[in-house]
Amino acid sequence: MGNLLILAGFVTVGLAAPSVLLKVGALGLVCALVLLSDDEPLRFLASLRFILLFALLLFIVQAVSTRAGTSLIDVPLRITDRGLLAGAGMALRFLLILTSSFLFVTVTDPDRLAHLFIRLGVPYRYGYAFILALRFVPFFRNEMRTVREAQQIRGIRASVRTLAGIRRAVRFTFVPVLVSGLIRVDSIAMSMKGRAFGLHPKRSSSVVERWHIEDALAVLITACLVAGAVLSRRFAWM
Amino acid sequence: MSLTDRPSTVQRGPQIEFDDLTVRFADRAKPAIRNITERIDPGEIVAITGPSGCGKTTLARALPGFIPSLIPAEFRGDVRVGGRSTMHVDPAKTATHVGLVQQDPDAQICTLRVRQEVAFGPENLCLPADEIRRRVSRALRIAGIEHLSNRETPNLSGGEKQRLAIASILAMEPEILVLDEPTANLDPPGAKGIFDTLAALREREGRTLLVVEHRLAPLLSHEPRLWVMDGGRVVLRKVTRRHEDLVALGLRGCQDPGTAHPHRITPGLSLRNVRVGYGAHCVIDGLSLDVRHGEILGVIGANGCGKTTLLRLLAGLERTETGAAERVEGMRVGMVFQHPHQQIFEQTVRRELEIDGKLNDAGCSALLEEARLSGLEEAAPFSLSLGEQRRLTVAAALRTRPDLLLLDEPFIGQDRHNVAWMVGRILGARDRGAAIVLVSHDVALLAGLCDRILYLGDEPIEGSPHEVFAGLRKMGLDAFTPAYWEGGS
Repeated sequence: MGNLLILAGFVTVGLAAPSVLLKVGALGLVCALVLLSDDEPLRFLASLRFILLFALLLFIVQAVSTRAGTSLIDVPLRITDRGLLAGAGMALRFLLILTSSFLFVTVTDPDRLAHLFIRLGVPYRYGYAFILALRFVPFFRNEMRTVREAQQIRGIRASVRTLAGIRRAVRFTFVPVLVSGLIRVDSIAMSMKGRAFGLHPKRSSSVVERWHIEDALAVLITACLVAGAVLSRRFAWM
Repeated sequence: MSLTDRPSTVQRGPQIEFDDLTVRFADRAKPAIRNITERIDPGEIVAITGPSGCGKTTLARALPGFIPSLIPAEFRGDVRVGGRSTMHVDPAKTATHVGLVQQDPDAQICTLRVRQEVAFGPENLCLPADEIRRRVSRALRIAGIEHLSNRETPNLSGGEKQRLAIASILAMEPEILVLDEPTANLDPPGAKGIFDTLAALREREGRTLLVVEHRLAPLLSHEPRLWVMDGGRVVLRKVTRRHEDLVALGLRGCQDPGTAHPHRITPGLSLRNVRVGYGAHCVIDGLSLDVRHGEILGVIGANGCGKTTLLRLLAGLERTETGAAERVEGMRVGMVFQHPHQQIFEQTVRRELEIDGKLNDAGCSALLEEARLSGLEEAAPFSLSLGEQRRLTVAAALRTRPDLLLLDEPFIGQDRHNVAWMVGRILGARDRGAAIVLVSHDVALLAGLCDRILYLGDEPIEGSPHEVFAGLRKMGLDAFTPAYWEGGS
């Protein structure tokens, strides 16, 4: 619950707060949470490199395309103070939403998240559709690895650099993996029905969620973030 | 009484009735099962066996009503549990009466954590949290996986997943347990342990067991009623606890591996003090091994001991952290994976065999005849039965005449005819000088087939089958020896 609240707080700041400083502060907080929650923060940041590159691109495009404001550089391109601010605001909004979502996905147990949604009133069939989708991610990853190894043993090379290569890759990789998935659909359906899935309109739960100090902290952080977003909008803080 | 009501513990008459049951799938000309009329009393243990495609799994799926409710089929006759038909009843309603553990454990796990998976069924029954926790703890204990309760399901080994599948059905506390090859992925002590546990449940709580199995030996001590199926019918019924009966019925001891031909035994691949691991988890530590031409090396060991990792290492698919893997240059490697569908790529059987080079018509016919796949040149490989797919993958692996042939549990789910066919091919490859490494839990088969055995464990043992099995007996690991399964100890 705490994770979801904090994510909501960061997204509110990202979308609603005009203040660049507030966004920088929020991004700093995300980095601090990464350091606290991840054993390998550098690897976490490395996995975000494309997001960082895209944020830089957004910043440049926004800075260059904004004509209003006092000119800071005229040659070869006109860059204004408002352009820099708009670029920073856009890039930070993008970074804040993406990095906080990425952190949320990394540290949240999807099983517990699905149960939370179910407890919040989402029909349990949808909750379990979400869990099943996640359940199939490692399955497809493992199948893909095995199929590629089987190809390697038989000397099949499925490069995706040419159109013909892509066709071969689809035929030799995706078809066996897809067949594996389809084989399992009937089994999963039987497994769920065979354990009374859908028998009652509601399910009970053995998972007991207790209030922890981290949840209180999450409420506090979220309240601060939302309050900051509202105040910065009300008083037009930069 | 409806099917959702729990019947009283004292029951008169049969608990399960198959009444002139015939099932035919739309894509098949012949019925999968035909005119089956059988009765099973409460507390009985019935072992169903027979060749691949004889209808065992169809029968197991018809009992809880999955056929025709979830798997459409032409369905004649009736199946009754406690006097009530399961036909056209939502299988969710029969879940507290009949629990089915399917063949592939990986394909029936639907959550991400072990404890959640076992709780899934009781939660669907809307039981109170205390009762769910009691059932989960009990099922985990019975299946011997209490220590895994907080693990993520995708990270479990095959054997652990099998135990989890059993635990998740046990948590439903059904009166009838149907198990479709429940020990296929388990090591010999694990298989024995599961059957002993299930038999104890039957003794203590009067639960009825229907077990579909090719490996019947672990069941014998529980004196099962044996049904032998063929062509969709039950062709033989017998109550037995004697291994000799299995041999007499042709259900065991069908292969004659012959004797070793040590005419060209030279090292083809050597491992020197190798260590392989995933992150902090070490799978193989300090192993040295010679894999020799003209020799069959059998690899046995408990679930998760690194047998598949060893094969992957020998195939060049795995890197060593320390130590060296030395191989003869230009060595051709063939590998047969555990699941045939993972190594089938083409749209027809012929094209699958031609991946390694074009075949003329005569060559293709000879190869197909050898693989007992004649007439299936243009068939889609995925439409073949499991046994046919297995023969196709073995034939494809052997087509290049590999110098090193690696087989990962090739006998799982295979009937004795297919096992005998594979044994013939393996011996043929050995006799022409290939080095063969064969991973299997079927220690009785390996004892007769292999020239050498490697037991992977905390203290690896390597040597002739006689030496290794003697060593294992000394270490108190009798369940890994063939004598244990054949009544010799």
